[in-house]
Amino acid sequence: MPVSWSAIGTLAAVALGAWAVRRVWWGYPPAPPDAKVLSRREIAFLAAAADATYPSGGPVPPSGSEAGVPSYADRYVAAVPPGTGLLMRLLFFLVEHATLAFPAPGRGGRRRFSSLSPDQRGAVLEAWGTSSWFPRRLVFSSLRAILTMGYFADPVVLRALDLAPRAIETPVVEADLLYPPIGAPRDAIRHRPGDLSPIGGAPVGPGAPLHPAYREPAS
Amino acid sequence: MSAKGQVRVFSDYQRDFVESADVVVVGSGPSGAVVAYELAALGRQVVLLEEGPPFTPDDFELDGAFSMARTMREAGLRTTRGTVIPTMQAIALGGGSLVNSAICVRPPEFVFEGWREHFELRQTGRKELDPHFDAVEAFLGIAPTPDEVQGQRNLLFRDGCDALGIDSEPIARNVKGCRGSGECFTGCRARAKQSMDISYVPAAIRSGAKVLTSVQVQEVRAENGRATGVQGQVVEPFTGRRSHRFRIDARAVVLAAGCMATPVILQKSGNLANRSGQVGQNLQFHPGLAVLGVFPDRVHPGFGATQGYQSLHFLREGFKLETLWAPAAVLAVRFPGFGQDLKRRLADVPYSANWDAIASCHRSLGRVRARRGPSMDPILSWHFHPEDVPTVGRALWEIARIFFAAGARKILPGVHGVAEEMHSLEEAEVLRTRAFKATDFVTASNHAFCSTRMHGDPARGVVDELGRSHDLPNLYVVDTGIFPRCSSVNPMLTAMALAHRSSGVIADQV
Repeated sequence: MPVSWSAIGTLAAVALGAWAVRRVWWGYPPAPPDAKVLSRREIAFLAAAADATYPSGGPVPPSGSEAGVPSYADRYVAAVPPGTGLLMRLLFFLVEHATLAFPAPGRGGRRRFSSLSPDQRGAVLEAWGTSSWFPRRLVFSSLRAILTMGYFADPVVLRALDLAPRAIETPVVEADLLYPPIGAPRDAIRHRPGDLSPIGGAPVGPGAPLHPAYREPAS
Repeated sequence: MSAKGQVRVFSDYQRDFVESADVVVVGSGPSGAVVAYELAALGRQVVLLEEGPPFTPDDFELDGAFSMARTMREAGLRTTRGTVIPTMQAIALGGGSLVNSAICVRPPEFVFEGWREHFELRQTGRKELDPHFDAVEAFLGIAPTPDEVQGQRNLLFRDGCDALGIDSEPIARNVKGCRGSGECFTGCRARAKQSMDISYVPAAIRSGAKVLTSVQVQEVRAENGRATGVQGQVVEPFTGRRSHRFRIDARAVVLAAGCMATPVILQKSGNLANRSGQVGQNLQFHPGLAVLGVFPDRVHPGFGATQGYQSLHFLREGFKLETLWAPAAVLAVRFPGFGQDLKRRLADVPYSANWDAIASCHRSLGRVRARRGPSMDPILSWHFHPEDVPTVGRALWEIARIFFAAGARKILPGVHGVAEEMHSLEEAEVLRTRAFKATDFVTASNHAFCSTRMHGDPARGVVDELGRSHDLPNLYVVDTGIFPRCSSVNPMLTAMALAHRSSGVIADQV
């Protein structure tokens, strides 16, 4: 039976479409249940990018994903204005899929970023970061800023670098008698004039105790 | 009415409202807070309006990015078009003073000479302004940062400057009882920083001013050539969701909403006070950039005053040098590389210090424009003038010199097209000799000026040197937008001194 050219064309288009769907959308792990706004694809991309930037081991042991960078980015995107959040998500999409058009070096480089080998991911990020084209460097530095902010929010990382905030006794000043916490009614002002206390005290130094939120959990 | 009753927060607004006062002040940052207090202390009825909420220590976020998302407009991610430069504007009671590093510097006379010479001003020099600087400094207890809270990061800068014979000095700040926690940018948990929300605003309230927070001014009302008040809507903290409408009738209107918001309010008010065509024009910045240096011994960079030392040595050449600390994540973006290479570099963090330069770029100009529709966020454009770019390269070179003189074993200049790390002054020589492009630098600036500039000629400026509109005799602008040219030093104290002077003029009028 003769095969028509239109049927071949249709089959080729379907095959190409299936390839594109597989490369672009297929095979991502499920998103964590506490994800606020990012999709499983975006979370997977962020984990791949975070681990390429901050792999496990070395003087600061946690990897990017162990430090919770994808979850941090998810909360951050939820916290910024919607238009800005959309731009960030476009940024994730762009870097995740740019390698389908501009493949990473080495075998199998025409895959989405999160499907590349660790070496290829590093090479791709380096190419973005050192590009002679300023807008490309700008895209990269925006992504890297998000990853870095997430990495440096992890108490383990901050403790390793001696950067964890210290506990500070907060004195009560006149303003504390005037303003309630944000979102609370004025009745929520908990201080009275008798609570006023002096400001100042010994300088906070490396030996000062850590802020409770940054202390090592008791084993 | 009790003092508490004179501060309204978001939960207090149940319906639309109208109020009246002698003077309505828009914006509770350094300039607006000074005017509100001074006028209230002189017995005028004052209503101070602020779009942001008051922050208590419970509201501070220690994480830098989330802190910016809460305290800054557009989550702290605002940038200019043209030459891309990040620039932030606070949205909080106290404005930028809540999250700045409290630097207070009087510009030297030559800065004012330039203002007078080019902008037809007669009463704006150190001689005329010193009494106003004195008054603000006395009120806030402004004093040089003591050595006990400097930390190594700041003292090394002093040592490097001393070794080279470069003048340096501890930075004077509006701080009392600093504990050197380095947390100025996320809100001072030690309550040492005398930001406006804990200094001038409570004083204004004590003197009888009413303070309305979470209210967004959208329009200045005018009739028969005079301002009659302002109107706008209540906005929910963080979401910006608008609800009840309000109107404040007043005999004088003072705009202190900031260099990037005041022009938008005027433009949205039917292009008010703009016969000169200068509203929103002439936008200037102090582009700033930092160099990271790594020392052989631990610096403990997280400890010490956020910005404790400065050098005005090169001010006439167009730049000022300072020490700098910021939330770790913000500074860590500077470390180049990926993977294990980056991880190895992170081990340098405890040995590192950041020092920065801010450049006076008179030729680099931009614009502030209102958006179509209800948004009050500005569209900013700005272009780095090619003749201003070499100043930044020169500043980088001087920072490199100071680092190596202080004993740094390497620096990370963070400039495109040169080595990521430089281990000697010889290697750093390229910073002095190379012809850089603006896009080679990663600059940022939170010092913004000139968008409603003062000028002696009403055809070329929005206000006179007392902050009074050339078009409406009872409309004043007192924020950094009125600077005719950038101040070459951190602008807060100058803005407050000018506002202090304007207060007397306004008081005479109402």
